[in-house]
Amino acid sequence: MNKKLACLLLAACMLVSLAACGSGASTTSAAPEASGDAGAATGEEITIGTISPNTGSLAAYGAAVTTAVDLAVEQINAAGGINGSQVKIVNADDQFDPTECLNAFNSLVSQGIGLILGSVTSGCTSAITDAANEEQVCLLTPSATADSITTADDYVFRACYADSFQGAIAAAYAKQSGYTEVGVVYCAADTYSKGLYDSFNAACEKYGVTVKAVESTASLDVQDYTNQFASMVKAGVQFVYAPYYYDVIGPYIVTQARAAGYKGIIMGADGYDTTPDYVVDGADLSVFNDVYYTNHYDPSDTSETVQAFVKAYEAKFGSTPNAISALAYDAVYMYKQAIETAGSVDPTAVRDALADTTAVYTGVTGTFSLDSTGTPAKGASIISFTSDGTKVTTKFVDVVKELPAA
Amino acid sequence: MSTFIQTLIVGLRLGSIYALVALGYTMVYGIIRLINFAHGDFLMVGGYTMIFTIPVTLALGLPAWSSVVFAILICAVVGVSTELVAYRPIRKRGTSMTALITAIAVSLLLENLAQAIPAIGPNPVVASQFFSTGGFSVSGVTMEWTTVYTIVISAVVMVVLYQFTQKTKLGRAMRCVSEDKEASILMGINVNNTIVLTFAIGSGLSAVAALMYLAQYPKVYTTMGALLGLKAFVAAVLGGIGVIPGAMLGGLIIGLVESFTTSYVSSSMADTFVFLILIVVLILKPAGILGKNVGEKV
Repeated sequence: MNKKLACLLLAACMLVSLAACGSGASTTSAAPEASGDAGAATGEEITIGTISPNTGSLAAYGAAVTTAVDLAVEQINAAGGINGSQVKIVNADDQFDPTECLNAFNSLVSQGIGLILGSVTSGCTSAITDAANEEQVCLLTPSATADSITTADDYVFRACYADSFQGAIAAAYAKQSGYTEVGVVYCAADTYSKGLYDSFNAACEKYGVTVKAVESTASLDVQDYTNQFASMVKAGVQFVYAPYYYDVIGPYIVTQARAAGYKGIIMGADGYDTTPDYVVDGADLSVFNDVYYTNHYDPSDTSETVQAFVKAYEAKFGSTPNAISALAYDAVYMYKQAIETAGSVDPTAVRDALADTTAVYTGVTGTFSLDSTGTPAKGASIISFTSDGTKVTTKFVDVVKELPAA
Repeated sequence: MSTFIQTLIVGLRLGSIYALVALGYTMVYGIIRLINFAHGDFLMVGGYTMIFTIPVTLALGLPAWSSVVFAILICAVVGVSTELVAYRPIRKRGTSMTALITAIAVSLLLENLAQAIPAIGPNPVVASQFFSTGGFSVSGVTMEWTTVYTIVISAVVMVVLYQFTQKTKLGRAMRCVSEDKEASILMGINVNNTIVLTFAIGSGLSAVAALMYLAQYPKVYTTMGALLGLKAFVAAVLGGIGVIPGAMLGGLIIGLVESFTTSYVSSSMADTFVFLILIVVLILKPAGILGKNVGEKV
């Protein structure tokens, strides 16, 4: 029944927009005043393509992006669209596979889409940055943090901070908490994990923290991390940086690390988000105490923007939005602001608007401007897991606006 | 010393899972000379069966691990139907190459079919705790109960299976068919039934392997059998494919090599060494460690 209603509504929307086109009104440059008209579509639809891992081992991130984008677009369209045009989303799945990501990108471009939001992971996004520059298609990734993703004078931007910042925050946190000797376990074959290790390592040097033991895994498919953490115990470190994703942290790493006798702090990055949904029922979950990670936002933040977003998301989808959702939501609004500034949806014009380093964006994940490479300068939240043994919850620890001096 | 013991334990528990999966490869190869690439995916079928039946067993007041009974049944059914629907008709008409390609096709079919089922979908699922938590300490190394169960159950299963093939009538029939199909028919053995039985046992074993695997590494996803199956296949070849003790030996060697490489050489080179050892062993002993060098029957 609901589906039928939705179909009818959609059909009605299409008729209205067709009628608007048919009336012969000039649609080339919608006047900014037009955006004030309540819901009236005066221009053609603006199509934004999104790429996300809807299937595969990181499917939770795919859902996080598609839901948040839905919410943002619904809000924008209800408020009159962008420059009077309604926004339409075309989603493509990259399966957390770089090759599939390129296929998804090409399929969106072949549909004539010039504004793309995606992809979620650094590994996938780095596979399409060159193509975006070649095709002169605007690419705004909500959450790919690898440093190499954005460079100056290109078509690639992001809504999140870069790994050189994120890794350094973890190093600064280690120093601030009094750990002078730390260890690292990372995946040598993954862009994200390796990038975070590099920046953590560099920042440790800067802060005078010794990286005493480094262990790695050859792929993200490895299931056993016991030996890696046993050598952390042997090295006597009490702080281990382990940049992995939630599907490894939840079922494997934390439990195995504790079983290997490692009792200290495990710290990670934004990939730890949603871990509490991927823990083993009935196991002793108190092992998740003393696990920390850096993230883009904290849903318990009391600021008005954050609470408005969290409430709207919860009302629509019945769950608390994670950081990827918050970033995707912000990315849609960044596109909105850039299109309004550019006054057109031409990819190059929108690119120029995004490349303006003086533009200020106010979003759920903070108020920020992009630097010359297209990466926001904004703070990171430090969050920890706490557990009473039967369930894992998150606890806000601190927010770091900028890196402390050496 | 504690590092050594820790590494040994990790190696043994990885190895015993590889060995259990390798048994399935070796049994099927031994009897019909077919590398059943879908075997790793039977493990995935077992994993999902347990995920779905754990609520049932818990509701009946039984422990979570007893859901393995359902898994064994479902896996055996899937294994036997694969043999009846895909392999047997192909064996009659095609060559061994067609059979091999069919096996790969069945493997990919199972993986993608699972993904298409809405209740399974593409997301990984985390299993619940199968065995009691905790453990005991040996010279500074914590030995979890789960690890103890994994190693002990694998050892028991392997010994029972070996005795079954050596001592029982059905087991002897399996070995006969594997030696010479035509002669077995003349001896009054029902070859087709024996092959079906082999598939049922081999697939059932993959359900037991799934239990052991998930107790240790509690993540189920549709492609979980791919890499695990490949490693187990390597184990079977290393030990001498078609020979049951060879699968056990091969599995344990691969698990131990992986673990010791991680601890003592380089943590990201475990797979490099596993496959390097495979190449070296095959150069020195082409039939595998325990394999007998017999010429291909024409």
